[in-house]
Amino acid sequence: MNLLVVVKVLGMLLLCEAVAMLPSLVVALIYGENTVWAFMISVLITASLGLLFFKVKVKENVIRYKEGFAIVTFGWLLASLMGSLPFLFTGALPSVVDALFETISGFTTTGSTVIQDLEVLPKSLLFWRSVTHWLGGMGILVLALAIQPALGVGTFQILKAESPGPISSKLTPRVSGTAKILYRTYLVITVVHIILLAVGGMPIFDSIIHAFGSVSTGGFSLKNASLGAYNNVYFEIVILIFMILSGINFSLYYFAFKNKNLRDFFHDTELKVYLFIIALYTIIITININGHVYHSLAESIRYAAFQVGSVITTTGYVTANFDLWPDLSKALIVTLMFVGACAGSTSGSIKVIRIHLVFKYIQREINRLVHPRAVKAIKINNVAVQENILTNVVSFFMLYILIFSFAALVLLTQNLDLVSAVTASAAAIGNIGPGLGLVGPSSSYAALTNVAKLLLAFLMIVGRLELYTVLSLLFPQTWKA
Amino acid sequence: MKVIVVGAGKVGTQLVESLLNEKHDVTVIDNSQEVINNLNDNFDVLAIKGNGVSSSLLRDVECSAADLLIAVTDSDEANIVSCISAKKMGTKCVIARVRSPEYVNESEFMRKTLGINYIINPELSTAHHIMRLLFNEHVSYTEDFAKGRVRITEIQVSPTSNLLHKQIKDLNLPKAIIITAITRGGEVIIPNGFTTIDPLDTLYVMGERNSVDTFAQTVGSKIIRDRIKNVFITGGGRTALYLARELEHLGVNVKIAEQDYERCRLLAERLDNTLVLHGDGTDINLLKAEKVEEMDAFVALTGFDEENMLVALLAKQLGAGKVIAKISRSSYTSLLETIGIDNAVIPKLITARDILRIIRGGRIVSLSLLIGGRAEVLEVLPQPDSPIVNKQLKDLGIPEGLIIGAILRDGQVIIPKGDAIVKSTDRVIVFTLENHMDKVTKLFGVRGGQKGIL
Repeated sequence: MNLLVVVKVLGMLLLCEAVAMLPSLVVALIYGENTVWAFMISVLITASLGLLFFKVKVKENVIRYKEGFAIVTFGWLLASLMGSLPFLFTGALPSVVDALFETISGFTTTGSTVIQDLEVLPKSLLFWRSVTHWLGGMGILVLALAIQPALGVGTFQILKAESPGPISSKLTPRVSGTAKILYRTYLVITVVHIILLAVGGMPIFDSIIHAFGSVSTGGFSLKNASLGAYNNVYFEIVILIFMILSGINFSLYYFAFKNKNLRDFFHDTELKVYLFIIALYTIIITININGHVYHSLAESIRYAAFQVGSVITTTGYVTANFDLWPDLSKALIVTLMFVGACAGSTSGSIKVIRIHLVFKYIQREINRLVHPRAVKAIKINNVAVQENILTNVVSFFMLYILIFSFAALVLLTQNLDLVSAVTASAAAIGNIGPGLGLVGPSSSYAALTNVAKLLLAFLMIVGRLELYTVLSLLFPQTWKA
Repeated sequence: MKVIVVGAGKVGTQLVESLLNEKHDVTVIDNSQEVINNLNDNFDVLAIKGNGVSSSLLRDVECSAADLLIAVTDSDEANIVSCISAKKMGTKCVIARVRSPEYVNESEFMRKTLGINYIINPELSTAHHIMRLLFNEHVSYTEDFAKGRVRITEIQVSPTSNLLHKQIKDLNLPKAIIITAITRGGEVIIPNGFTTIDPLDTLYVMGERNSVDTFAQTVGSKIIRDRIKNVFITGGGRTALYLARELEHLGVNVKIAEQDYERCRLLAERLDNTLVLHGDGTDINLLKAEKVEEMDAFVALTGFDEENMLVALLAKQLGAGKVIAKISRSSYTSLLETIGIDNAVIPKLITARDILRIIRGGRIVSLSLLIGGRAEVLEVLPQPDSPIVNKQLKDLGIPEGLIIGAILRDGQVIIPKGDAIVKSTDRVIVFTLENHMDKVTKLFGVRGGQKGIL
């Protein structure tokens, strides 16, 4: 493995992170908070380490598969480590494990928190938490690629390793061009979202925090009761729409914009399935909760739709405590945790496209029983999916279930009951946030043991980087020359 | 007229023959010395060995003075380049054969931007032709002219038929039909009133559509009224791909059996609802497992004539509805009639027909080749000042192999007798043996300076 090039790219990453901390410093200055020093020191440490790394002399400026995986995995760990400094220095989270958990939960857009009372936290720290969401949503390394095009040959490996979905493709001839397009789209959606919230009467600071939380499909709020605290239908609709929009493949926006028409956009197989799942789940849950939990149909639809949208996009904002819903609805919410939104979006979990392909694969196997000699191609958007991608998707699905189950077993040794352990594991690997029981929508992860917290944080990174990126580094072959 | 043919394969040679029959000056370019020798031995053409893409060779054959260049080499790209070059150098009209499925949707671009006047795709045309056969009520070959008013159909005379051993004048044929030709043991006979019908004869009956159908039914030809719903195709070549695609569009269930796995993958990727089977389409176990007996039609499209014929027979025996076989050697066609295959499709004839249609253009509305290319049926609009107009047919000295089969006047189908007169506003359906084609153009004045190329 070409470690020097890995170190150099990590240097660039840390420099980006240091710059990303500056707005929080500005927030601290604006509100006259005593966190100014904590942020200044954090920026200094991150920037100097970054500079040190970046100045490394690289012999061979080539990034291959292995280097791509290493850069992304170590990049995320290092960024999380540096990102936790403000929590430590301000004393908001004195425990290193807690600070790390919170930062990783932020960067991976999970949105689980160990902070029990958010409302007393300094605004600058709340802001930093949401910035980690925003950066992690589209990818910190994608940002580095957008800013610094000359990181080396083969930077596409980084983009592939960091962006979600089974098939990554460039939108432009150059990786940096693609990264810029992605971030530009992301920025436009975010700004529109902030404006719409502010227009509806949400304070500007709250609007920014919630926009960051929903477009990144993260879920950090600044209220203990999450979005439910506002009890405002307009906010809920705007946020629901933007969560769903952020769950759509970003390249679809680019092509719709470039070709100036929405035909291909609405003909996308994955998008159609995604919207269908949302509609179906909303209807079933509405029927299930109507009359039992809520008394009017409008109310039932309002809460069902928001919770479904929030969980499928892996955001994790809540407007209702679904832990109190009937068992069927709870179970449906849990199954949604394994779906996620579209590939190439900011969401986590397995992704609609993979679920769709797995179902098609099963269908084909059954069909093969009837016609043993049949040769059938599985198609997405009228293009046949290559067999190796199918194998990859099926094994991804199995691996995902395997890791999730194993982690749930380990959590059971950490004083968690079955429901809490299973949902905590699913919520962490899927980057969702709230689970059920002890980790339900109305509670935090603060009470968990350090082992449980570290395991969940690891799961978040494994899930965000789509399993293979991290797991490949655990195999010794990767490290051999 | 001066015509250059680039590439003398199956289609090229067939074309040369047809063009010579119409008294054109033909230059042929081919890169095989053997082919050149063969051409020089058999035809009155200028045959040159060389690469039809080369501009110096094109200059040598004076393509700037040529009226038409037809590029039918094996390579699509060579055909395209050859046509573009010739067009730029001054050839009036160029025709390229382009068969790759990737170029199917690009003919508009090739015409408009590249300036190639016509694109010919034999496999696509063959698929269209098979489509027509499939959706025809008749089990055997049938084709319609004059917007469906006039029909020509092939009738196999069964050994028990009540037509047997009778002379045609005693058959009491309905007024609106005529027997244009009979094939007997590979021979083409132009019948008259005294010709007798023998067992195993094939009759080519032309006339008003309903009368033809009634006659065909009374002599025992099968007519299928139900719509085709299930089709089985053996062999997954390009024709099969085009055919399956068109059938899919109409909601027909299609099964394709193909031996090559990679080809199966490709078919499965390009088709949506077709069931692609990896296996030998001539294997009886596979045919039985896939219930060939329930199929409305069976189409054999492998690369081997013998295989196609045999598997088609097998399918017929198992009980498939309509059976169609692709044949590349037209010499086999006479055999097919006798062994009981409903329809034979001969791609090179279809291609030659396509090109002839273009060449004659103008007042020839439609055209088909019959009996392995030895006869043609044409729908012609006569020129107002042409010899045929306003004269009794018997005074025109029309040769025996040329039959004015039907005249369409004011929506009425007339089967003409010797005293009939053709008017300039009529549509005329002509049946002719290949060697009388130049006579047709003379009679109807369709040659020269008209909307057609030549």
